[in-house]
Formats: sequence, structure tokens, C-alpha cells
Amino acid sequence: MKPAAIGPDKKINTPSKPRSWFLEIWKHRMTYTLLLPGLIWLFVFAYMPMGGLSLAFKHYKANMGIWGSPWVGWENFKYVFRDPTFIEAIWRTLYVNIIKFLISFPFPILLALLLNELRMGKMKKVFQTVFTFPQFLSWIIVSGIVINVLSYDGLLNSALSMLGLSTINFLGSERMFLPMLILTDIWKSTGWGAIIFLAAISGIDQDQYESAQIDGASRMQQIFKITLPNILPTVTVMFILNVGGLMSAGFDQIFNLANAATQNVSQVLDVYIYRITFQSSTDFSFSTAVSLFRSLVNMILLLSADRIAKMMGGDGLFR
Amino acid sequence: MSTKAAKRHKFRVGKMTFLDYFLLVLLTVLSLMIIIPFWNVIMISFATQKEYADHPLLMWPKQPTLDAYRALFQDGRLLGGFLNTFKILLVGLPLSLFLTSTMAYGLSRNKFPGKKGIFFIVLFTMIFNGGIVPLYLVMKSLHLTGSLWSVILVGSFSAFNMILMMNYFQGLPESLMESARLDGAGEWKILFSIVLPLAAPIMATITLFYGVSFWNGWYDAMIFLRKAEQLPLQNVLRTIIVESTTNVSNAASVDALAKSGFSTGMKMASVFVSMLPIMCFFPLLQKHFAKGVLTGAIKT
Repeated sequence: MKPAAIGPDKKINTPSKPRSWFLEIWKHRMTYTLLLPGLIWLFVFAYMPMGGLSLAFKHYKANMGIWGSPWVGWENFKYVFRDPTFIEAIWRTLYVNIIKFLISFPFPILLALLLNELRMGKMKKVFQTVFTFPQFLSWIIVSGIVINVLSYDGLLNSALSMLGLSTINFLGSERMFLPMLILTDIWKSTGWGAIIFLAAISGIDQDQYESAQIDGASRMQQIFKITLPNILPTVTVMFILNVGGLMSAGFDQIFNLANAATQNVSQVLDVYIYRITFQSSTDFSFSTAVSLFRSLVNMILLLSADRIAKMMGGDGLFR
Repeated sequence: MSTKAAKRHKFRVGKMTFLDYFLLVLLTVLSLMIIIPFWNVIMISFATQKEYADHPLLMWPKQPTLDAYRALFQDGRLLGGFLNTFKILLVGLPLSLFLTSTMAYGLSRNKFPGKKGIFFIVLFTMIFNGGIVPLYLVMKSLHLTGSLWSVILVGSFSAFNMILMMNYFQGLPESLMESARLDGAGEWKILFSIVLPLAAPIMATITLFYGVSFWNGWYDAMIFLRKAEQLPLQNVLRTIIVESTTNVSNAASVDALAKSGFSTGMKMASVFVSMLPIMCFFPLLQKHFAKGVLTGAIKT
């Protein structure tokens, strides 16, 4: 096959004897060199920032850097939890994400059911392509489209005024901000979300449908008595996993669809962290304390979601 | 001959029922709700400014023109963004594939001391991270802020992609690697001359994953880069679209738009050219992403 390096036969596979640990490591030295580049990346770009979270307990001095700045204990957190904007941002995050999630969650399931009931295979493919496309665009591109459609003189308002209806200020009013987020989120992600449910539906044993048809069950009955119960585990798992992301979801969307008029209602936790860190007078210790709080809450949410999903018989996040 | 039963059977499986037509119409209406915004964006980019001002509902420009594209080209900013994104892809894709495949192969092989620990080190980054503030400070202390390298490096490894690739490698027959090992090939040689040629499907998938995330990335660049001429495509698009429309709620914004130098036509042209590559790759993307997300998220 391949003229592999011809040389002394380096046969290190000796019959299994209790080997010392060091020998075992030496034997796999090549494997460790394979892991090294990735581990270096992880150390620098994942674990050093994690270590950098220690800044939450320090008073940051630019000339001393993360590691040299003096420790101050819990002092930063005292300021964090006394900051009304921080508390407000937490509630805003939960409020926006929970409502958005509860309203948009059923749509992918409905779409999957509709697509599954469609008999024409070719059309099904076409529809799937159309519905999944927006998912692959960044929220910046989508916000370009959204602004064109929803702005004061945009597509939708022009259509509304043409029909003699009153126009709606989708983008520039605090009251419309959350409905606009929900609407655009459904527009962008429903098709993609449906894919997982479609896969679950395609895994259902076809015999169940056949025997139901023989018994004269209508298609509606088949949906409610066979399809839905069969995909319920997937629905549950997806529901729980989404709950795990409640604290961090939606930053890209909110950040790119917010503007001066909706500044107050768009301040979710991640936007708040961005604004206090990179837009106003910077106190890195304070922002790091907020960051640490966010990371911890995220971890707790994720791990509990994973645990609960597993308890419900799903696979969880990490198999 | 129970014609009634036969008819009913045929009716259900073969012919289209009322329900089928209803579904077809419903799904067509829904997909139009996706298509029309895109169509409108594209058509505005080909229309004259006057025509758009008269008919915002534009679905087919009467005098198609490339003015917006010409102006966009002359302005040059978006072009610069394209160039920067290409630079990021050119370096970032090979680097990310290298980092991901070496680690994935290393972890996919048989037991060695510390394997579980190292896997946990990877997995833990999916559960917990330092967040943007310490990352920014680390980047700054490494003197990477203000350089495209910051964006490239930060985006060039993903634990999720690594695990997907690792799972694929684990499915390859061990005997192949064992025989190469007996021939005296080292693990690096095995990876590059035996494993990677066999792993074309997963390499394609992971390349697309990284490609899309580099293409759509903007947050890292916004944080780490300073000069406008360094910004990648998405950030340039953001300045054109989001930041120039500070207040889209009132008619005064129209004046502001005129001042920013970008007509609506130019904005829509920017949106269109930015999503064009995604459109071209979409058939591939759809196939591979669906596979990836299914193997990653749920086992069916």
C-alpha cells in the first residue's frame, strides 16, 4: 500500500504485563503530542480567561494586569448586587427569554407536523429548504432584512397603510420590542428547529400507522394518538435543554435589533455586560464580577437541564 | 368486491384529499412569508432610489439598475470587509481543522493515562467559560487586540466540533491503524495518511461549521479590533445597517440615512452580497448541518 518509513521494526506491543505508569505514558507519547496543540489553545483561550475570573475578587489595576492586582475579597460583589441596573438586567433577561421561549417553542413542532403530513416528497424538500435558510444567516444580515420589512416606511407598514390600516411602530417603541423579538425569532429559527422533530417523527415505527389506518383512524387521530405521543420525549428534552440557555440566549438578536428608542427594554444581562465593559467608563473588576455571576448561573442552569433531561429518559447535553 | 373499502384505501394513500391541498396552500403561504422579505431586499437593491421611494412594496423594478452595487463598490468599505473575512477564513479554516482533528484523533484512540481527564478539560469548556471580560484582558495581555489574529485564534477551536469529529474517528476500524502502527508509522503519520483520507465526510461537515461561524462572526471582532479598516464583513454590514439607523422610528431618520451616504438600495445590496455565499453553499450546509445537529443533539 504505502511505502511507510522502512526501518527497524518498532514493535512495542509486548504481552500484557503489569506496566508501570511511566512506561504507559512513554508508550503513548505520540498521542500526547497530538493533543498538545488543542490543549494549548484550551489553556490560553478557555482556561486563562477562567482564571481571569479571579479578577472578580480583585481591584484591577491596569499596570499590574489580571494576576498582579491586589485581592479585595467580596467587595466587588457588594457593588454588583447593589446596582439597580444589574438587578434590572437579570429580570429583563428572564422576562424576555422566558416569554420568547414559551411562545416560540411550539412552532417548530407544528411545522414538523405540517411538513410530515404533506404527501408530496418534492415539495416537502423545497419547503424545508426555504424554512431552514434564515437560520444560516447572522442576526446582522437578518436585522437588515427586518429593518427593511418592519421599519416605519418598510414593507409591512406600507402594506398596512395601503390596506387603510394604521401603521405599527415595530422597531422604535418599547411596547413592541418583545413582540418584535418573538416574531423575528420565529421567522428565523422555526424551520431549523423543525428538523429535530422531523427526525424524531421519521424514527416512528410505520406499523403503528398502518394498523391505525386499518382500524379506520383519521389522519387527525393518527397525529394525536401516534405522532405526538411518540415525539413527546424529544419535545421534553428540547424544552429542558432550551431552559438551560435562558440566561444567555438571544444576545445576537437583541443586540442587533435594539436601537436608541428601545435602549431600556433591550438591556438583558449580556447587553448590560457589554455596555458596562466596553461603552462606559470601565471598571474591569466590576464587569468581571458580573461575568462570574453570569457564568455560574449558566453552568447551574445547564447542568440541571442536563440532569433533568437524563432523568426524563433523554440523552442530555453531553450524552 | 368491497369497492367502498378499496376506494377509501385508495383515497387515503393515493389521491390528494382536501387536507392535502389545505396543507399545500398553508405551507406555500408560510414559505412566502420567508421568501417575500428576501425578494423585496433583492429587488430594492436593483431599483432606482426614486422607484423605491414611490413603491416600498417593490416586487419587480421597472428600470433595473446596478447603481447601488456600483456605489457600494466605489465606497469600498464593504469590499474591505469581504477581504478581511477572506483573510480570516484563509488562515482560520486550516488552523481550526488542524487543532480539531489532532485533538479528536488523539482522544479517539485507545486508553492512555489521563484520557478521561483531558476529555473532561474539553467538556468543561462547554459548561463553563470566563466570559468576554477576562477573555478581552487575556487577549490584551497577549498583545493580540487590534490584530486579525485575535479573531482567528478565538474562533479556531470548538469543543462541540471536536467531539463530533472524535465520535466519527471512533467509528473507524482500529485494525487499519494497528497495521500501520506495525509498519512503523507514528500517530501523526497515521492521522494524516490514513485517518484523514477516510474522514472526508466529517471533514466537510466540520469545515462548513467553522466556515459559517467565521463568516457570521462579529462579536469577537467588535471587541478585539479597533481600526475600521480591519473589521470583517459582518461588522461593516452592522455599521452600514444597524448603526446608521439609530432611530428607525421616525421620518427624520430618512435624513440621517441620506447623510450616512448609504441609500436604501445600497444597504439592501450590502445585505444581498453578504448572504450570497451562504446561499451558494446552502444545499451543502443544509445537508451537513442537519446531520451534525442530529448526531450532536440527540441520538435517533
